[in-house]
Amino acid sequence: MRPTTLVRLALAGTRTDTARVVLTALSALLATLAGLAALTVLAIPTPAATDENPNRWSEQYHNALLVEPGLRGGTAFALLMLMIPVLALAGQCARLGAPARDRRLAALRLAGATPGQVTRLAVLETGVAALLGTLVGLGAYLVGRDLLHRPDGRGRLALPTDVLPSPGALAAVLLGLPAVAALATALMLRTVTTSPLGVSRKAARERGPRPWAGVLIGLGVVSFAAIRPVAQRYDDHGVLVAWLAPLMFAASGIAAMVGVVFGTGWISYHCGLLLRRHARRPAALLAAGRLMADPWAGSRTFAALLAALIFGGGAAAQRAYFATKDQLEREQSRLAGVDGGANPFYLSTMDLVDGAVAVAILIATGGLIVALVEGIVARRRAYAALVATGVPRAVLSRSVAWQALAPAVPAIMLALAVGTLLGRGLIAEVSTGGSSAQICEAAAALCDDPATREQYTRIVYIPDVRRAVPVPLEHLAWLGAGALVAVLVTVGVGLLFLRASTALDELRTA
Amino acid sequence: MTQLQARGVVRAYGPTPALRGVTLDVAEGEIVAVTGPSGCGKSTLLHCLAGILRPDAGEVTWRGHRIDTWSEAARSRLRRTEFGVLFQFGQLVAELTAAENVALPLLLAGTGRREARTAALTWLERFGVAEVADVRPGAMSGGQQQRCATARALVTEPRVLFADEPTGALDTLTGEQVLTQLVRLAREQRTAVVLVTHEPRIAAYADREVVLRDGLVDHTGLGLDVPLAGGAR
Repeated sequence: MRPTTLVRLALAGTRTDTARVVLTALSALLATLAGLAALTVLAIPTPAATDENPNRWSEQYHNALLVEPGLRGGTAFALLMLMIPVLALAGQCARLGAPARDRRLAALRLAGATPGQVTRLAVLETGVAALLGTLVGLGAYLVGRDLLHRPDGRGRLALPTDVLPSPGALAAVLLGLPAVAALATALMLRTVTTSPLGVSRKAARERGPRPWAGVLIGLGVVSFAAIRPVAQRYDDHGVLVAWLAPLMFAASGIAAMVGVVFGTGWISYHCGLLLRRHARRPAALLAAGRLMADPWAGSRTFAALLAALIFGGGAAAQRAYFATKDQLEREQSRLAGVDGGANPFYLSTMDLVDGAVAVAILIATGGLIVALVEGIVARRRAYAALVATGVPRAVLSRSVAWQALAPAVPAIMLALAVGTLLGRGLIAEVSTGGSSAQICEAAAALCDDPATREQYTRIVYIPDVRRAVPVPLEHLAWLGAGALVAVLVTVGVGLLFLRASTALDELRTA
Repeated sequence: MTQLQARGVVRAYGPTPALRGVTLDVAEGEIVAVTGPSGCGKSTLLHCLAGILRPDAGEVTWRGHRIDTWSEAARSRLRRTEFGVLFQFGQLVAELTAAENVALPLLLAGTGRREARTAALTWLERFGVAEVADVRPGAMSGGQQQRCATARALVTEPRVLFADEPTGALDTLTGEQVLTQLVRLAREQRTAVVLVTHEPRIAAYADREVVLRDGLVDHTGLGLDVPLAGGAR
């Protein structure tokens, strides 16, 4: 098959296929922007230490997250974390219109295409769409960089619009993202056999998921809690700590996240089991059947939302730590009779992190909507047949709501609990004080004069105080409520599509 | 006594006419086969009679009440309580077991879960598929699936069963077995059957055959007398 024919066939299709391509490109665009933003932060040069700038701050920026070299790594990490819901959204989009695409691929097989050609078509479709999105993302990044480059009166910038990532890093994003998208499609198609008569998927096991995800979560949480002791133990081995701590941070965080996502499969199955055992109404019974038949649908659907919530839970624990520390320092200052001003920097930084979590939840909601609508559209003939036999649409609506909400509520709680445990594993206690300070209680002129300073100076002992960081229940409740609202909005949008998908005209199409 | 009537029913899909004024009566317990070539409007007529589709013109009455003017919810309730509907394929809920599928209409009607399951098992037994009661449709043969679907259509003991090519996806022998059971049980509980088919052999199970051509009734005749298993007719 000629490459031009391959491209033409890959991009041929119905409106749903077009929507899939557009959404895949859009996801790639967002991922490109997040990736390039992270790389730009990392590309900020750190100046050499001087007498005026001993801390090697990049003083051409407003924001301390960009100014301080020690904070830039975390900022870039947070931006990279935004790629998780975006990539999950891309994964959801790849499933959009899958039945129609499967029929198209089967028709191509019937027309003589080999299995390899059919796989290449699907891979090419995703790869081309992702490449397109990445290129548009690069264009948007460059234009945005130009538009936002507005130094203030002191020549300082709000964003790092004066630096560009290295060409190697740019190329890695531009080629890496489409390659990852294409590879993911190829991997997904490994379980799919496209024959001239249709598409079949390797059958799922009848047995429900095992609770191994719990082990993964446990390992993640425990090893996360071990980061601090390990870092303290090897404090004198600078190099070892420099790579061991970040490695443990990433590995245990990912283990816990994967555990929660896979654990949602187990949760879905057992929600289905409970509903099947105890449900009295047909809506719950229908939902139970679906939850048990494909428990991994919950994992796929909620993955991005849960990842965002784990991150949010961890951030909430971190915020509680900073708030407690701030409060403790104020109390100690008051006790010592010192005017201890609050240091809002860390709490303001947490506002930015919370903003990132909100954006991630928003993107994840987009993915949820795509997944739910796709699930409804894919089953439209079955729904139409049920309506034809007299099943009220309200029953189907309730079954869709049950199916989304029954696993969502425990999964959201689990994700928040794991996120909080991870956060508290690092910092469950605030310790401050145990030091002394000299305080001059006179006018500045007297304090500045060496002859009089000692007369007005007293030494204040600040006791060592330790205080447990409270569990940020209110913050967690808000996060949980936000996530639940996201799921409810998704269900609401899905129900709009349900009405169209139960149109009895569907019965006329085999 | 006539239960279901269609008077001058017209229905089109966009510019394409499917029915151009069909009139048909179905009496209590009567088995009527609607036959004709592909695209003559058989399925559309069945959908109009069952209240699945609203005719563009004409009327459909059930026991003297015009149902084509009823709301979707009311027609849906009618299908749930008085009618049974059976298609060629794809009607069982893939995620529910056979027993749950058969029990579904009873649960919708408010029957308790245990009683619904008992009734479902009884009907599966009658159709000879009790062994697949706890099996999902994906793990059943085509014949078993269609028997379960037929059991589901009859479990509420409807007054009329609408069957659209119910054996179209089955081999000849299985198709005949399913149809024999369907007709026998329908006669036992005096359920009228509107049977859409393009196979004369299937139509022969009916009391009366209505042949459609180009959206109109071409002619009506008596079905052939086919002996059924167990001597029932």
